[in-house]
Amino acid sequence: MSASKNRDINLLRSNEKQSLIRFLSLYIFLVTMLLLLLGVSYYESQEKLMFSNQRTILSTYANEQVKKLKILHHYFPTKNEYPRDERFESAIYDIERIHIFSTLKNRKIDFDKEIYRVEEKIHFVKYLDDYYLGAKYLFIEIDENRDWYRETIISIIALGIITLTVLGIFGIFFMKLFMRPMKNSVDLLDNFIKDTTHELNTPISAILANIEMMDKSIMSEKNIKKLKRINIAAKTVSHLYQDLTYLVLGHQTKVRDEWIELKELIEARVEYFSLLATPKRITFHLDLETGKLFIDAAKIARVVDNLISNAIKYNRRSGSIKITLRSNYFIVEDTGIGIEHDKVTAIFERYSRFNSSEGGFGIGLNIVKSIIDEYNLTIKVHSVLREGTTIRVSF
Amino acid sequence: MQKIIKTTLTIILISTMTYAKNIENENVYSKNCIPCHEYLPASLERMFMSYMKIYSGEFTLKESLKAFLRKPDKEMSVMSDLFLDRFGVKDKTDLSEKELEEAVNIYWNRHNVRNKLR
Repeated sequence: MSASKNRDINLLRSNEKQSLIRFLSLYIFLVTMLLLLLGVSYYESQEKLMFSNQRTILSTYANEQVKKLKILHHYFPTKNEYPRDERFESAIYDIERIHIFSTLKNRKIDFDKEIYRVEEKIHFVKYLDDYYLGAKYLFIEIDENRDWYRETIISIIALGIITLTVLGIFGIFFMKLFMRPMKNSVDLLDNFIKDTTHELNTPISAILANIEMMDKSIMSEKNIKKLKRINIAAKTVSHLYQDLTYLVLGHQTKVRDEWIELKELIEARVEYFSLLATPKRITFHLDLETGKLFIDAAKIARVVDNLISNAIKYNRRSGSIKITLRSNYFIVEDTGIGIEHDKVTAIFERYSRFNSSEGGFGIGLNIVKSIIDEYNLTIKVHSVLREGTTIRVSF
Repeated sequence: MQKIIKTTLTIILISTMTYAKNIENENVYSKNCIPCHEYLPASLERMFMSYMKIYSGEFTLKESLKAFLRKPDKEMSVMSDLFLDRFGVKDKTDLSEKELEEAVNIYWNRHNVRNKLR
């Protein structure tokens, strides 16, 4: 039961996964933006608080310095030593913002802000009413105490991570809630396929076995034709059965990888499908060299079967199928209806069909893709509408 | 040798002319400002500091001083009422614009605090 559930999750259609990823990405992006905004707002409030605390101290220093400037102004030039204080540095500028004297460590000054931070220094500007020594602006500079900064950043990061985690859990919960109806639909179809698959095996086997056993020598030409049609129909259902079996049980069966000679396999599968191609007068052109692949025989058979089956199904009447095999790739090329360029990427999605006029569940190429991915092979599709499709599998 | 003598004489001539010019400039200030202020209790230096306390910048101070010297007014004076009651407001300057400009520049250069603080 649990294996079945896991498989269902694994077989989620790529567009469902895409929706999940997009939703989660958007959600996480928005939450992160919101948290960043809150973080910046918190940082600014902490910075303002720090400036507010520093302003009181700096204002006291500035008043003390003004008193000293007043005394120096009175005794200048008899005394000309600029007043210094070990607690702070200072500078004076005249009304035309021309420098008079400075002991500032950082000379990047701003006349329009009362208090500001510049490279780990805090500058405070006092506007003098009496211009002692010609000074209109008095700058006081102290070293910035970075404790508040460290504490604020740690708080922002810690709270951000906690909030992001909590909101992320909420996001996954809501996402599952929203995705449930879609997943239920997929589950329903999966269960239907499972149930029907079990019931298909015995009758198909019986039909195919009995067709083979029939003595055609005593049949009339008309009956032989009818029997062929029955054989084609039975093989079509058998092919569908094989796909459904792989889909339902493929992941539970034991994998037996071995060296497979693809030339023999392709020839055998072409012969098997030739009967299906006959009614549409489709001809096969085989250009096969030797090509070996270390893979499970049943799985590579599903790949070849589905590619040939699709090439027949979506081919035009009197069309052709060319199969080329080389040492590291094989190509199945048809002269069929082709696929629109923007739909090429969607053909590997489960329950996706080229054309609604043709039968099928739309699971064939999904199986092909899952096997291709499992064995790290590459598949490339080139299709021109109303001209045909070329599928190349490289290994 | 002749060339060296010529060069030396030229340098002496230029230096003398420059010095003479400076002396002449200084004279504008020395001849027209210092004599009157010598007899006042507030020195030119203290008056400069009073100007600086009110006008702060070089351009503002010079322009205000020139405006006052062209048209002295009790309201415009930087001196105290006590001083003005005792010594009165100065007379209008009879210096030309150029001389006034030079005298104010000398006054600024002599007394401004820049490069004197240490």
